[in-house]
Amino acid sequence: MIVLDRPGNIVGACAIADAVRRGELSAVTLIESRLERIHRLNPLLNCFTEVLVERALRMAGAIDAMVADGHDPGPLAGVPFGVKDNYDVAGKITTAGSTINRTRDPASADALLLQRVARAGAVLVGTQNMDEFAYGFTTENAHYGATHNPCDLKRSAGGSSGGSAAAVAAGLTEFSLGTDTNGSIRVPASFCGIFGLKPTFGRLPRTGTFPFVHDLDHLGPFARSTADLAAIYDALQGYDEDDAGCVAREIELTAPHLKRSQGDPSVAILDGWFHDMADDQGRAAVDAVARVLNVRSRATFAGTEQARAAAFVLTAASGGNLHFEALRMSADQFDPATRDRLLAGALVPANLILQAQRIRHLYHAEVMEAFRRHDLLLAPATPCHAPLLGQPTIRVGGKDVPTRPNIGVLTQPLSFVGLPIVTVPVQSPGLPIGVQIIAPPWREDAALAAAARVEAAGIASFSVAEPC
Amino acid sequence: MIDKNDVELLAKMAGLKIDPAYLQGVTDNLCALLVQGALLMSSPVAPEVEPATVLRL
Repeated sequence: MIVLDRPGNIVGACAIADAVRRGELSAVTLIESRLERIHRLNPLLNCFTEVLVERALRMAGAIDAMVADGHDPGPLAGVPFGVKDNYDVAGKITTAGSTINRTRDPASADALLLQRVARAGAVLVGTQNMDEFAYGFTTENAHYGATHNPCDLKRSAGGSSGGSAAAVAAGLTEFSLGTDTNGSIRVPASFCGIFGLKPTFGRLPRTGTFPFVHDLDHLGPFARSTADLAAIYDALQGYDEDDAGCVAREIELTAPHLKRSQGDPSVAILDGWFHDMADDQGRAAVDAVARVLNVRSRATFAGTEQARAAAFVLTAASGGNLHFEALRMSADQFDPATRDRLLAGALVPANLILQAQRIRHLYHAEVMEAFRRHDLLLAPATPCHAPLLGQPTIRVGGKDVPTRPNIGVLTQPLSFVGLPIVTVPVQSPGLPIGVQIIAPPWREDAALAAAARVEAAGIASFSVAEPC
Repeated sequence: MIDKNDVELLAKMAGLKIDPAYLQGVTDNLCALLVQGALLMSSPVAPEVEPATVLRL
């Protein structure tokens, strides 16, 4: 029987599911062991806002019963996972990191993506900490506390899906589901040293999640390997008409083809903004990935600074609009870090919002032109490794700038045009940092295959962080 | 740039009343947004570039 209560024995979602399906591993035993680990480590990390012990054990028991009856519980059988606290969980109030939302009715059903991985056999163990209303990059939440980075407890886990990333990094869950509007999967993946996928905008339905910016919100998974990431992503796919932003595309499986040769793709390192706003560690990480992928060229987008500015303005204005009534009636109940940004967003002139959307179309055209010449692009995920909790400034582009709004300078322009991106963790003697592998729209398979190559070469890797 | 008095007026126009304790924070954030906005307005954009997602029915 596989023992899973020590980091060295944790073998990943795919291997766990295989063992459970073969009857070699009891899902209940696994979940009990993981709940014990959560009980022991969550006080240090503050990943979870709520641990759903009864639900987890009930679902694990159902998985074991299915196996005993000779039925297949699914490709993610028994795998423990968590969801960011903006995913609906049936019977729970979806707080989205706020206290204002506590007046809402409990969700009547699980979020659609949660339903899909549960149908595949995965076991939900809890909801995870986030920046209030997803408006942040550090998961320092005034109501629920900060999430601590398992790689260094004094540091941020990134945000806004910080709890989700830290839970995977610390071996509390095998995978987590997060959201990414301007970088909220990629930033925590970078800071915590794990793999993350932000799919193409419109690929995965957002049905049953609390929104932030309707035309920038993406959902996606965190995991410990590219194989796991691909398997989870495949279980999540499928159109849903209840999400107006979801695009009706056929399911395009990635896991069976992960190691299939993609030929010799043309890969370019993004230069200009993506070089200047990074630090030496980020640039070195990109170079290490580039050597594996036989990079021969560099590409520059002239409009990146404007694209980032446009995403910044559109996000603030959209958030201000979404929360306008609450800002009018209950501003004192917001996290101060988000309140003032949302109030300012509610005052942005319409002229700037429309200009931001026009800039978006121009940047999209510029990026798509580059994909005529290249199959994949590379850039660091963050301008630095994880900052200290409460650190007021970071160094970006040779200047000291406020930490919170500037951590996403390298992610924001790319999600602005909805590209699929895998973040791979490049470990170092110190703290990890992520590299974005960027593909054309709908080519998650290409980004995942490249990530698998980088992982196989030993450049991108995950190791469970024993919190210290 | 703008000051707290400007923000109070803008808020009034938008139907918001901002607590005086928050005014400086809001002003600082709006100034940061307007700096980014100035960058957007300085970018040449041809008239035919779409301002919003096109609605296809």
